[in-house]
Amino acid sequence: MMTAAIEYFQFVLAPQILIGLVLGVAVILVALGLTIIFGLLDVINMSHGEFYALGAFIALALASVGLPFWLLLLLVPLIMLPVGYIVERGLIQRVFHSGERHVTTLLLTFGLGLVMEDAFRLVFGPNPQKPPVPIAGAIDVFGVFLPLYRLFLILGGAAVVALVALVVYRTRLGAMVRAAAFDRHMAASLGVPVQHVYAGAFAFGVALAGLAGVMLAPIYSVFPTMGRDFILMAFTVVIVGGMGSIAGVVVAGLLLTQVQAISSLYISPVWSDPIVFGIMVIMLMVRPQGLFGRLGHG
Amino acid sequence: MADALTRSMRASHVLAAVLVVASLGFAAFGAASGDTFYLRLGTEALIFAGLALSVDILLGYTGLLSLGQALYFGLGAYLSALVLMVTPSFWAAMGATAIGAVVVGTIGGFIANRVRGVYFALITFGMAQVIAKVVYNTRALGASDGLIGVPVIDINLGLFKISSASPVGFFLVVLTFIIILYALAAYLLDTPFGRLLIALRANERRVPFLGYRTVTARLAAYVIAAVIAALSGALYPMLRGFVSPELLFFATSGNAVITVVTGGVGTLVGALYGSILLTLFKSVVGSYTEHHLIVIGLLFMGAVIFLPRGLMGIVRPVIERRLNRGAKS
Amino acid sequence: MTYKTTILAALLSATALVSAQSVQAADPIKIGVVTPLSGTYAGIGQQVRWGLDLATKEVNAAGGIMGRPVELIYEDEEANPSVAVQKADKLFQVNKVDFLTGTVNSGSTLAVGQVAERAGKLIATTVSFADSITADKCSPNVFRVNARAGQQSAALAVWLSKEKPKANVFYLGPDYEMGRSTVAAFKASAEKVGAASTGEVFAPLDSKDYTQYFGQMRAAKPQVLYTSVAGNDTVRLLTQMQEFGLLNNLTVVGASGTVTAQNLPAIGKAAEGFVTGVGYSAEIDTPENKKFVAAFKAANKIDPDLYGADSYGLIYAYKAAVEKAKSTETDKVRTAFNDLKWQTPQGEKTLRAGDHQAVQTMYVVRVTGGKFSIVGQVAGTDAIGPDACTRF
Repeated sequence: MMTAAIEYFQFVLAPQILIGLVLGVAVILVALGLTIIFGLLDVINMSHGEFYALGAFIALALASVGLPFWLLLLLVPLIMLPVGYIVERGLIQRVFHSGERHVTTLLLTFGLGLVMEDAFRLVFGPNPQKPPVPIAGAIDVFGVFLPLYRLFLILGGAAVVALVALVVYRTRLGAMVRAAAFDRHMAASLGVPVQHVYAGAFAFGVALAGLAGVMLAPIYSVFPTMGRDFILMAFTVVIVGGMGSIAGVVVAGLLLTQVQAISSLYISPVWSDPIVFGIMVIMLMVRPQGLFGRLGHG
Repeated sequence: MADALTRSMRASHVLAAVLVVASLGFAAFGAASGDTFYLRLGTEALIFAGLALSVDILLGYTGLLSLGQALYFGLGAYLSALVLMVTPSFWAAMGATAIGAVVVGTIGGFIANRVRGVYFALITFGMAQVIAKVVYNTRALGASDGLIGVPVIDINLGLFKISSASPVGFFLVVLTFIIILYALAAYLLDTPFGRLLIALRANERRVPFLGYRTVTARLAAYVIAAVIAALSGALYPMLRGFVSPELLFFATSGNAVITVVTGGVGTLVGALYGSILLTLFKSVVGSYTEHHLIVIGLLFMGAVIFLPRGLMGIVRPVIERRLNRGAKS
Repeated sequence: MTYKTTILAALLSATALVSAQSVQAADPIKIGVVTPLSGTYAGIGQQVRWGLDLATKEVNAAGGIMGRPVELIYEDEEANPSVAVQKADKLFQVNKVDFLTGTVNSGSTLAVGQVAERAGKLIATTVSFADSITADKCSPNVFRVNARAGQQSAALAVWLSKEKPKANVFYLGPDYEMGRSTVAAFKASAEKVGAASTGEVFAPLDSKDYTQYFGQMRAAKPQVLYTSVAGNDTVRLLTQMQEFGLLNNLTVVGASGTVTAQNLPAIGKAAEGFVTGVGYSAEIDTPENKKFVAAFKAANKIDPDLYGADSYGLIYAYKAAVEKAKSTETDKVRTAFNDLKWQTPQGEKTLRAGDHQAVQTMYVVRVTGGKFSIVGQVAGTDAIGPDACTRF
């Protein structure tokens, strides 16, 4: 009886929890940029998934000319920064001051996403491409099997989250960002360059999406419609965690993917999406601000 | 003395009248030349105009963006298809759809109206996504294949009958139907109820002090929009003879939003013009390049940035000025 | 390119020029193609287009059909049946096409078939697998020139009974109508030849992570895994299984669309040893096929897969039928199609009159060294199964 329980834990439950953890980190990586952009600019970035794809495609293109994966982890986000900056100043700022900022920016980024997805197909063709896994091999912890690259993803993802939290909560830059999020007029009168902070934050969020693209491409492969993959789950995580909250994204990201992973052991996995959406809908009904408050308001 | 709101509504009516006249001309020309395709395409454009109209009622009058209006369009299409396959009666299908839409719309409205702003957009998106998944996986509803074999019906209009297979006949039926839906929406939004919605949009916190219940007004607007979307959807299987789960997908909701934003938010008639232009445009561009999404996406972004009232923002003020001049002299 | 083929190509293009002039005077025969050129299925639509284009070029170079050139008119259906019917309507009513093909997902094929019935025209699918199209939902105006799910599983089951008798089989399908019916079809054929089913799981279409089903798979301890996921989904499933070391001591078999020339490069080594029952392989060792593969590769720089080959073959089927009927009229062509035998890169095919389904030799194909190789074949009559169409 006892051994059966241990065996069940070791061979069924534990691997499932670990797999859920990898998925959780992947979702958190995509959702992180989304929540920062929302927390600061009040913008729902509907094209976030396409920026994630853009990062993966840039990585693919650079890898094909011989650049190593580890360099791309640094290079791709750096390339994405000016892209994000230009998109914010050139597009988002144009409708940012209209009465219904939420709706207009959502529509604008929705249109941008359509254009980007089609452009990927135009440039890279419709078929999937898969970069090689940068770290081959796997480890075996008490009979639980985990490929090394997935282990790297968990650790690397945790490092990225820590770094982002550090920048937002512990640096002068982060203080300016939070001040601008809390009260833009007050921040502006105190000498914070609000315009640049906004564009910079958008660029930062987009760069994070690009980084997620580089890190996840070896596992999930690269194709034009890949942006649709994580975006639904990422939105859900951002809503449940609290729009604009970094801690919220982490907690909700881990929680929801565990719900998904463990529930799919017992019920048909096709229902795991509706379950997660159900949680989102209920959350929106009872506590629209999410588990944690907003950036700059907490 | 008419206020600004009534004046711009009148300008919309003038544009709607222009549309009707143009459509009748189109129908006459189509019938004379024995055309089938363009009449059916026009019919489909009008059906999707009904869906866009329902998006505009929410976006234009309550300021709430629904990203899941395909839920009600699809509900209508499936209900109508199921009824028609049992009993080929136009009125039975429409009646069942209206009842179904009121019930589902009320439930959906209770859920969605607990939140505002972007949260409303996301919650409507989520609800539609769940229902689309359920239909996609339900064998009794044809699952991913959809339902084919919806019969051609004779629509009994009292004095005479029109077959849904007659291109010009069914075009006129749908035109009449959509114009009635437009008139109904325009009438409701011009009553004190409509004024209340607009007041809510302008300043939500102040309205309760005037003695109105905000929740009921919003819910009513949501249910009206749901019924209009569903009744439009119910016409779809009569035209094409089948329904498929793609009608419930985000692409359908997204297209309706693109239609309204390009046509003109808050003008009602913009939804109709937007749908006709977009259908025509897609049909033309789609034949030349498979990258039509780039073109449509760019046009849409242009409309969001430069034309906050869409195409109607250009056309309607001209008509308004004319009407004003007429009133003064 | 060798010297010989250069001369051949030059000669071919010269004859093409001459015959193009000679058939210019005649009215073209128009074939409408409604196929997904954008969205998730764009890769399949691309193969369809390449196959049709190549065959049309050849037919026109050789004088067309009854002296009339063939003209293809493409429309993007966005893998959406409601767009497909609108485009089909346009091709029938405005472009006045004589014939229509190209639909990929079975929902589109069924819906467009109904449009064809109402327009009094004929269509053929070269891609859709769902058995229902030529069984309980058959239509007098719809033909299928590719092998359906039942033919594929029958061929695969024959191989399984020989190579892995009495194997424990686990099934993983995409959770929608097609996935469930392919799994059911193969399960029935496999159990008939003595295999034991140890469990099945259905993953949502476009799943990003299949690792969450590995627990159930591991617990079932199967020797054979059958899967009918396709496209990008296969890339993820197989590479993730490889990552987790699940491919050791496991034979993976699947549906025809699971691993194709289109996604094989992205799957890489993880596809090694994959076996499927299929109606076509670029490796078929006949002069006709070699010629076809060379021409296809020269034009598109990639091997044809089953979609490309079946689409190519369709143009020749239509040519044979029209020449037999001496007309493009619907009723005459339909009669000519019944029990029509014609040559394709994969050999002779027959269109069964009872259900409009092509009967053809089925191949069992395995991925070895990053390429497909044929490991067995099953006669067309053994794989086809009974005629279940009752409408005509």
